[in-house]
Amino acid sequence: MRNLLLFFFRCRPWLLLAAYIIISCVLLFSSNPYQQSVYLTSANSVSSTLYSGATKVKSYFNLFEVNEDLLRRNNLLEKKVLELEARIQLYQEKEIALELPADSSLSRFDFIVAHVINNSINRAHNFITINKGSADGIQPEMGVVDQNGIVGKVNVVGEHSSRIISLLNSDLRISSKVKGSDQVGSLVWDGDDSRFALLEELPRHSTFNVGDTVITSGYSTTFPEGIPVGVVDSELKDYDENFYTLRIRLFTDFSKLSIVRIVIDNMADELSIVEQDTQE
Amino acid sequence: MNRIYTTIIIWIPILIILQALVFNHICLFGYAVPFVFIYALLRLPLNMTKERAFTIGFLTGLALDIFSDTLGLNALCCTILMALRRPVARLYLPRDEELLEIAPGIKTYGLATFAKYTLTTTLIFCTLTFLIESLDSLVIYIMCFKILASTLLTFALILGLDSLTIGKSEKRL
Repeated sequence: MRNLLLFFFRCRPWLLLAAYIIISCVLLFSSNPYQQSVYLTSANSVSSTLYSGATKVKSYFNLFEVNEDLLRRNNLLEKKVLELEARIQLYQEKEIALELPADSSLSRFDFIVAHVINNSINRAHNFITINKGSADGIQPEMGVVDQNGIVGKVNVVGEHSSRIISLLNSDLRISSKVKGSDQVGSLVWDGDDSRFALLEELPRHSTFNVGDTVITSGYSTTFPEGIPVGVVDSELKDYDENFYTLRIRLFTDFSKLSIVRIVIDNMADELSIVEQDTQE
Repeated sequence: MNRIYTTIIIWIPILIILQALVFNHICLFGYAVPFVFIYALLRLPLNMTKERAFTIGFLTGLALDIFSDTLGLNALCCTILMALRRPVARLYLPRDEELLEIAPGIKTYGLATFAKYTLTTTLIFCTLTFLIESLDSLVIYIMCFKILASTLLTFALILGLDSLTIGKSEKRL
């Protein structure tokens, strides 16, 4: 027994090393994005205070690009408004407007604006931290978009900060489709270039051209249908024979994220109850 | 001894904050990430007790992990780095116990020896980091590119930092 204790005493540095390695491995493998504790992520109060200060300084450097993006988006929206106004006028002229049924889905989605306080693009699993949390109405699983397109999905929510699984995270899959067609695929990042992602599992009979816009499918409560994702850059050959895999050039510039909007689906609770009943 | 505490108390927190706020966001040509914070660990004297060295490595890595959402990754890599640091330095240093007492640097070990020591340890750290981080998702050649590019960038920055920061009074080899 004494010899055993002496042996342990002599080997204590290596036992300590083994203990540290085991602790690190446990942390590493248990840090699944869905179970990770809020206190051990960048959404905790110490880290988020630090990042908030740093971001206030950094956000000034991106204002030029953000402004340009907003102007571009504004132009598009203005054009759309004009188109819609023209259409409304047409309807009014034909006196059909009064007979149109009210569409309750129009008020289904709402947005919360938040500032990005931490963001990474160079890892295999990237996360973003924002300065809004449960106190502002944010809940896990909500979708996140910016002025150009989709950004990710809320993962961990603190009181005044939240962590988002970035689209640049190979664990996140988003149901998307090529605009103008109904075949749905799964958008996922391949871990290589932050400007591109892959649209996988697109049925072989779908039609598309290089340069077509890719949008969200709306098959979940996370994102409404029609949020722009990117454009088709090329088709990848050496994948499954039954499905297309497309390389998508993303609209969102993840290296310059500063202001994002969190999508609130007012029907999320109702839909989850309905879907639960169906499963039972 | 005072120098050890200066390194631990001043350098480690400063480099962790710089790494979390600045260097983690740099990704040169989409491949090279500078891991400059390991400079604080490489500067610790080599004759430090193993327990203390492992503990400092583990805590430094864990602190950075909490800021960067990579729980366990840097803690594991830094602990292993601290375990391999001394055998690596032994490869390039003459058998002289006195050398282990001084903080490694260009002015103490000489440029060639310190460069070899830094390059080897940086390569080990980058290989571990990218290997552990992307076991499931990265293509092997992308990973090799990332390891090489990050090693070279980190190595260059550490040499630059070392030549800028070392005091004139430090002992020469």
